Amino acid sequence: MEKIYVEKTASRGIAVAKIYKYEELDLKPVQNKIQEQDKEGQIGKFLDARECVRGELEKLAAVNEIFSAHLEMVMDFTLEDSVKSKINDESDNAESAVSEAVSEVAAVFEMMDDEYMKERAADIQDIGKRLMAQLKGVPLPDIGNLKEEAIVLAKDLFPSDTVKMDTDYVKGIITEEGGVTSHVSIIAKNMNIPALVGVKGIMDKLNTGDIVCMDAGEGVIIISPEEDVLNEYKQKKQEFENEKQRLEKLRNNPVITKEGKKISLCINAGNAEDIEKALPVKMDGVGLFRSELLYMEKTHFPTEEEQFEVYKRAAMLCPQELTIRTLDIGGDKELPYFDFEKEDNPFLGWRAIRISLEMKDMFKEQLRAILRASAFGNVRIMFPMIISLEELREAKEVVEECKKELREEGKAFCEDIETGMMMETPASVILAEEFAKEADFFSIGTNDLTQYLLAVDRGNKKIADKYSYFHPAVLNAIKHIIDAAHKENIKAGMCGEMAGDVKAAKILLEYGLDEFSMSAGSMDYVREELLKLTGAI
Amino acid sequence: MVSKKVTIINPSGVHARPASILSKAATECSSEVLIIHGEKKIQPKSILNLMAAALKKGTEIEVQCSGENEEEDLKKITELIESGLGE
Repeated sequence: MEKIYVEKTASRGIAVAKIYKYEELDLKPVQNKIQEQDKEGQIGKFLDARECVRGELEKLAAVNEIFSAHLEMVMDFTLEDSVKSKINDESDNAESAVSEAVSEVAAVFEMMDDEYMKERAADIQDIGKRLMAQLKGVPLPDIGNLKEEAIVLAKDLFPSDTVKMDTDYVKGIITEEGGVTSHVSIIAKNMNIPALVGVKGIMDKLNTGDIVCMDAGEGVIIISPEEDVLNEYKQKKQEFENEKQRLEKLRNNPVITKEGKKISLCINAGNAEDIEKALPVKMDGVGLFRSELLYMEKTHFPTEEEQFEVYKRAAMLCPQELTIRTLDIGGDKELPYFDFEKEDNPFLGWRAIRISLEMKDMFKEQLRAILRASAFGNVRIMFPMIISLEELREAKEVVEECKKELREEGKAFCEDIETGMMMETPASVILAEEFAKEADFFSIGTNDLTQYLLAVDRGNKKIADKYSYFHPAVLNAIKHIIDAAHKENIKAGMCGEMAGDVKAAKILLEYGLDEFSMSAGSMDYVREELLKLTGAI
Repeated sequence: MVSKKVTIINPSGVHARPASILSKAATECSSEVLIIHGEKKIQPKSILNLMAAALKKGTEIEVQCSGENEEEDLKKITELIESGLGE
């Protein structure tokens, strides 16, 4: 028995299986110089092989986007020129010309500083392998032929290998090369296969048929485990999978309170990709779409069109509601293209709705984009950092102004779009009853609310122990907000950290919270807790 | 010859996917298209050339087009880069 510790976990999980060592074909080129009269023939041979590879890649590109880039690369004229000149000027045969041209390009990428670009050398070598196999007329070894459960061991795995992997048989992946951002890591994560990458020297230690236990989360590989260790890992794996399956099975269960009210479970998202990735957890919608990320990524204030595209895509992805919070900048969030004056107390300063109401043209561009997206889904507008009814009214007036403009321009939007507010300032809590008469919904932002109510800076390590949303003042505030909302028949949600905290679920449910919005990773656990609390499981 | 300066806005720079989009668009142009980055001349019609240039977010580049369609081609390429190359 031998235990190896690995640093690079590409994808979590546990596997116990025999090794399937996936070794490369010998694709070394035949080395011989050719005669002048053969040059044209060798170039023709290269072009024919490339044509076949193009055909293969076109089929693959239809299934997996990464191959579109491969397709572009294989048809690249610099590669073609390089191969041709090696044949014409150096009298290389087609095989060695391709091999050298590919190595040269790959070397350029391998020498780059950027981790991501270094990994792209693998893409180029993958193309090289395809071309060589085609030139030699041999089929590439095919991982798709694996017909029994195994942990695949390879020097590295290329997109053309992983695309054929059958998750029924591939139980784990170990590679000698590659990093956590490499292709194999991304695919393993997507396919939910435990994977460890960059395990130096592992190819020499293992052979097909060896039994291995791997815990990718812990970064452990055990070679030829003793009976008790084997059983221990089998059990661990079972527990891991049971837990995962149990939680996944619950994803279709709605949370309904004993009074018959459906609790909405939503995610917090920063862009459309977050929503797309979260779809498997079966959320009811997006309770907080942080529009500021869109502003922070750009080099200029995003235009109405740019924003519209993003919101529209998000709205179309959303199963139900999409709550877009208008720009919440300032405080600790800055923009690369806008100069914020230095403030002594940025968290009590010029931020969020205060900026929007002052920079009205910018605010209107955002609201117009949100309104136009509302034609494509159930979109809601949410204003951050509101402290007075005047602010809420003014913000709503700007919405009406934008609606009027859009109507006149004949642009589609939802007339009854809901406008609500974040409940995150002490003022909003104290005036909750008044606000409930004029807002369409509330969403409690516990992060700022806790900090403002307790006068505790949550970034300050010295007083970190004082920051707690279980403080009775915060709990009372939350209850007060929910009661005020229900009195006026509007819904109260929560989009702060607390909503994703399993320990808080019980009290929030008792208070009557209508919507929990959290990071997608917390959803399975909170759902399970709520189902337990409501007696559904 | 016409030219214009633009800035790369893609968060991770011009990696495989944006490079693929840019090289495809450049190939469709009838003009000679060239990207100037400092001392380097990059042929955007070649994805390999583009990727090897490792253009990062915030990098300012100059796009040059020459040919019958140069105005139109320059507009097309610079707008594509400014819009984030499909990202």
